[in-house]
Amino acid sequence: MKRFALMIVGVVFLFGLLTSMTFGAPREITFWLMPNAPDDFHTVWLDAKVAEFQKETGITVHYEVIGWGDAWTRLVTAITGGEGADVVQVGTTWNPQFAAMKGLKKVNPSEFGGIDAFMPANYESTTYKGESYGVPWFAETRCLFYNKDHFAEVKLEPPTTYDELVAVGNRFARVRGKGTAIAVAGNQAWDLLHNWAILLWAWGGELTSSDLKKATFNSPEGIEAMNWYVDLVRNGLASKSCAEYNQPDADAAFINGNVSMAFMGPWNIANIEHDNPALNYGVVEPPCGPKARAAFSGGSNLAILASSRAEEDAKAWITFLLRKDNLVSYTSELTYMLPATVEAFDDPAFATEMYKPFKAALEYATAYPPLGVWGTMENDITVAFKAIFTDYVTGKLGADGVKKHLDDAAQRVDAALKTEK
Amino acid sequence: MKGVSGWSRQRHAIAYWMILPAVAAMLLVHYIPMLWGFYISMHDVNLFTMVDWINAPFIGFQNFIDGFNSATTTGARALKALWNITVYSVVAISAGYVIGLAVAILLNQDFWGRTLMRGLILLPYITPDCVAFNVWKFIFQSRIGLLNRYLVQWNLVSEPPIWLIGPPALWAVTIASIWKGWPFAALILLAALQKIPPELYEAARVDGATAWQQFTMITVPQLRIVSVMLILMSILWNFNAFNQFFIMLGRDPGIAAEVPSTLILREAFTNLKYGIGSALSIVLMLILLVITTVYLYALRGTAGAEEV
Repeated sequence: MKRFALMIVGVVFLFGLLTSMTFGAPREITFWLMPNAPDDFHTVWLDAKVAEFQKETGITVHYEVIGWGDAWTRLVTAITGGEGADVVQVGTTWNPQFAAMKGLKKVNPSEFGGIDAFMPANYESTTYKGESYGVPWFAETRCLFYNKDHFAEVKLEPPTTYDELVAVGNRFARVRGKGTAIAVAGNQAWDLLHNWAILLWAWGGELTSSDLKKATFNSPEGIEAMNWYVDLVRNGLASKSCAEYNQPDADAAFINGNVSMAFMGPWNIANIEHDNPALNYGVVEPPCGPKARAAFSGGSNLAILASSRAEEDAKAWITFLLRKDNLVSYTSELTYMLPATVEAFDDPAFATEMYKPFKAALEYATAYPPLGVWGTMENDITVAFKAIFTDYVTGKLGADGVKKHLDDAAQRVDAALKTEK
Repeated sequence: MKGVSGWSRQRHAIAYWMILPAVAAMLLVHYIPMLWGFYISMHDVNLFTMVDWINAPFIGFQNFIDGFNSATTTGARALKALWNITVYSVVAISAGYVIGLAVAILLNQDFWGRTLMRGLILLPYITPDCVAFNVWKFIFQSRIGLLNRYLVQWNLVSEPPIWLIGPPALWAVTIASIWKGWPFAALILLAALQKIPPELYEAARVDGATAWQQFTMITVPQLRIVSVMLILMSILWNFNAFNQFFIMLGRDPGIAAEVPSTLILREAFTNLKYGIGSALSIVLMLILLVITTVYLYALRGTAGAEEV
């Protein structure tokens, strides 16, 4: 009897201990995001918002800023390992892939204002097989930045077509020196495809067939668009050194005033203000190609990792970040991206001259297809892109070199598309 | 037959208990992941099957076939990566050893400031990889790199060459690795040099041996055991080289400078083909196992002779 009583006391004690641990545990979540703004502005904003959120809800948010170059591996590791973060920023092109990996929690859009509350292309990027696996956060597209002082020097207007861009570039090469017209990303860029995709679309090509079963980027339009890109270096408009650039290297060449043009995203406005506020620059829509004017619809979503044990707290943090005042502040004052909610997008803060080209480009911007195997596809095309640059630099790119590499990539992409479930 | 006394059994038991934590750690950190990797290499673990990898379809050796089929991009890259890492290792290890030995011999002489010099030579070795290789990346950069700046300034080239793309990239990384690796060789060889009894040299001098004869007849044989271990460790480290390639050339160094570790990283974590990534890892491990065994077996006689 005594032993039984002791056992009861022990069980009650253990239960009490466990429940006190559960109920008394501080509410904490981890948030991973990318360097969407220069660090010294970004962390100040995040610290303030984390404190405000903590005061409102009692939930502590531990955030970590991870570079875009490492983010993919970190997220894949977190998904496969089942540990890491609760809320994560994912690129719009990554969302379907992580959903296919069963790495993200399903999201009910009505909990965040409904489907109509978001910009359609951004909402689309959160979906996979008809289900939603994230919440749109902000949108971005790349436009042509130009140095007003350089253009005034040669008495030219910013180009409106790709032919004009070459003509203007040749003029810069003659007047200001070889390789000074434009900076482009090269072999160290992880996002090289974004640069070529807008050319491919402008030349009338497509990445895949409409049923998403076959690669079509190795079409004559694709080959022509790729040759146009390589010609920027071949014809001295861009420096041969661009072949080893990543995107921030190309951006820096423009921001430092070394080149007259660059295709950059709106986040670079913050970088210019931070690194070279004296730069006299303008932004125009991407030039028109032989078939159309095209832009890349990118951006980021907020998602909850499947392994998160604090789903409700994670949702509360996402709701907080999407609140109009926070979203407008984060985008218009900090990152210069465009908000992905309709309510914030219509805010007067985004009616300024600076946002005009980005808003116009987003009207016709194209998103990549929401495929589970998209990451593999992008990697295959990027590998071909880099091989083309390498062959050009080493003098091995023959007349059909571009076609050969794109055909190889198309073969791999076809194989990847066959595995899409 | 000799019985085992109670005390001896007790001593054995204590020894087993003492090595238990190390064995447990080895199992947890090395052997279980290795078995896990082997399991994954025989299954179709990819983007869609990864979450439930234990139930991924069994495909036998298909990942090994796909991973080394020269007709496919991955296969061609894997074979080129093995060739590249062999070239890289041979050059980096040989150069590192020769420089290390030369410096060790110099530092074994009596001169003012010798202790300071011994400390200073370790600087490249103790510099963190990310710092050292980022500096080397900057040195080799085409437009703003130090190397090209001087090459252009001294009119040695008309247009700045591109070092970090194509075949030159492999040599750029090799040079950076030699710079980073030789101090370790120097340190180990210096320690071995200091253990050679001076009487051997004195006797040789009395017998009229030249400096070269002393080097080949005394120094080289006396360093043999240490050299065997040093070169073996260097082979293992260099075949698994990752930091220098990843930092200087990025996730995709291009086929001319591809090495197994970057290819495995991309196949597993970018393309999410874990099966192929694991198959490539296992083949790399087996190659290293064979090299180590053959190397130790081939040198067993000479090393054993020294020990006697």
